[in-house]
Amino acid sequence: MAQKRKRPKSLYHRAKDNQQFQAAMTVVLPVFLGMVILVLWQTQTLHQIFHTDTFTLPLIDRIGTIFIENRAKIWENVKATMTVALIGLVLGSLLGYLIAILAAFFPKMGTGGLSVIGAFASIPVVALAPVMNNWTKGVSSDANTRSMVAKILVVMLIAAANMGLNAYRGLTELKPYALDLMAVYAAKRRTVFQKLQLPNSVPYIFVALKVSVPASIMTTIVSEYFAEYIIGVGRQIRENIVLAQYSTAWAYIATACLLGIVSYVILMVLQKILLRNYH
Amino acid sequence: MSELEKNVEIEIRDLSVTFKDNSGNDVQALTAVNLDIYKGEFISLLGPSGCGKTTLLRCISDLQEPTDGTVRIDGMTPKEIRLKQKFGFVFQQPVLFDWRTVKKNVELPLEIMYESKAERAKRADEMLELVGLQNFANHYPKQLSGGMQQRVNIARAFGSWPELLLMDEPFSALDEFTKEKLHEDLLRIWRQTNKTIIFVTHNIQEAVFLSDRICVLSPHPGRLSAIVDVDLPRPRTLEMKDTQHFNDLVLKVRNSFEGGSV
Repeated sequence: MAQKRKRPKSLYHRAKDNQQFQAAMTVVLPVFLGMVILVLWQTQTLHQIFHTDTFTLPLIDRIGTIFIENRAKIWENVKATMTVALIGLVLGSLLGYLIAILAAFFPKMGTGGLSVIGAFASIPVVALAPVMNNWTKGVSSDANTRSMVAKILVVMLIAAANMGLNAYRGLTELKPYALDLMAVYAAKRRTVFQKLQLPNSVPYIFVALKVSVPASIMTTIVSEYFAEYIIGVGRQIRENIVLAQYSTAWAYIATACLLGIVSYVILMVLQKILLRNYH
Repeated sequence: MSELEKNVEIEIRDLSVTFKDNSGNDVQALTAVNLDIYKGEFISLLGPSGCGKTTLLRCISDLQEPTDGTVRIDGMTPKEIRLKQKFGFVFQQPVLFDWRTVKKNVELPLEIMYESKAERAKRADEMLELVGLQNFANHYPKQLSGGMQQRVNIARAFGSWPELLLMDEPFSALDEFTKEKLHEDLLRIWRQTNKTIIFVTHNIQEAVFLSDRICVLSPHPGRLSAIVDVDLPRPRTLEMKDTQHFNDLVLKVRNSFEGGSV
C-alpha cells in the first residue's frame, strides 16, 4: 500500500509543539498585555472607559517625571519599607521554623502552638497594626524606632505563621519507610533531623517564602498606614492621596509594585540556585 | 548447605503480634511462630497479604515489638543487634533521598556509622559496581528508572556490611525482565558476601528460585504453616525455572498453604 503523503502541519500546531516558542510566549504575552494597557492609559482611552480624568488618574509620562524628580525621597522611603519588610521576614521565618522544629519534636505541644499562631495570622493586618502600635508604646522614646518595632512585629507574625505551617509539613511529611530506614541503622534523633528532616524541609521553605516575600512587603505597606511615624512607601501613597497629589501617589504605587516584583525575582533566582539538587 | 555447617543464628520462639484495627478489635497478625534461621542461609517468608510475613521481618529487625514470645539473634535481642548496626534492610520502595546523589545515598548508612570519608567513598564505589551502576554515581534518584533505584536500595543495604540482610518484597513493583535480572544479581552478590538473607515475598516462583528454605505463612490468623527445603543446586540459573524439579517444588510449596491452594 502506498504511503499516504503527510499533510504539512498547520502553523497553529507547529507553534504548539515548539517548546522554545512556547517558552518565549510566556514572557512575550504578559509583556504585550502590559504594553497594551500602558498605551490605553497614555492615550486616555482608559479614562474614557472608567469615566475619570487625568487629575485622578495621571498619565504615564507625568508619573514617570514625578518618579524621576522625587527619586531621592522615594529611595529614602523604599529603604524604610524594605528594612521593615526584610527584618520582619527574616525574624518571622526563623521564629516560624523554630516553632515547626518544636512541633516536630513534641507533637502534642507543637501542633497546638502552630494552630494558635495560624489563628493569629488570620487576623487582618488592618486590625493587627493599631494593636501593635499600642503594645509598643513603651519600647522607645524615638517615634521612628517605636513605629518600626510595631511594623516589624506585624510582618513577623505573618511570616512566622507561613513558615511554621509549611516547615512543619516539610519536617514531618517524609517518604514512607524513611524513618524506618534511619531506625534500622540506629540513627540518633539528631542524625535523623540533620540527614532526613532538615533537607526534606528545604523545598517547603521556598513554598513558604513564595507567599511570605510578597506578603511581608504588603503587610509593611499596610502597617505604615497606621504607624505613628510618617515614613515608607505605603504611608506616602496615603499622604499624597490625602493631599490630592495623585501623580506622586501613583509614583509610589508604581514603586510598591516594583518592590514586590523585584524581590520575587530575587527569590526565584535563589530558589533556582539552592534547589538545583532537588528534583 | 551440609548439615555440619548449620549454625543457628536467629531463634524465634512463640512469637505473636496482635494489632488493634480501626474499630478497636484485636487482629492476630502472627500467632506462636517458632523458627530457627541458620547463618549464611537464604530464607524466604512466603505468603499472601495479611499472613504477617512483613510483621515477622519487622519483629526480627526491631522495627516492631512482639506482643508475645522472643527473638534471639546470636543470643542477643533484636534491639541490641540493631543498636550495633548489624542489620541491612531493603524496603518495598527504594526510599532514596532525592537531594542526595546515588553515591551519597549508598553512603548514608556509613555516615550514620561514622565511617571516614575515604572509606565511605571506597565502599560506595564497590557496591555501585556490584549492582552495575558505577556510571550513575553522580545522578540523582529521580533520574533513574524504578529498577535502577531498587538496585541503589540493594547497594545501600549491602554497603554497610550487615550481618543480616532483611528484604521486604523488594522486587514486587518491578517488571518481569528487571526482576529476573535483579534475581541473578542478588544471588551473585549474596554468594560474594555470604550474608544471611531473610527475603519476604508473595511470589512462589521467586521464593523457589532464590531460597535455601521457604517458610510458608498462612493468613487469618497469620501463622507459619510449613517449611519447604529447596534442594535446587547452586549457582542457580534461569534455565532451572523450566525443569520438572523446579515445577515440582513450586507445586509442593503451593500445596503447603493451609486450607489448600491460595
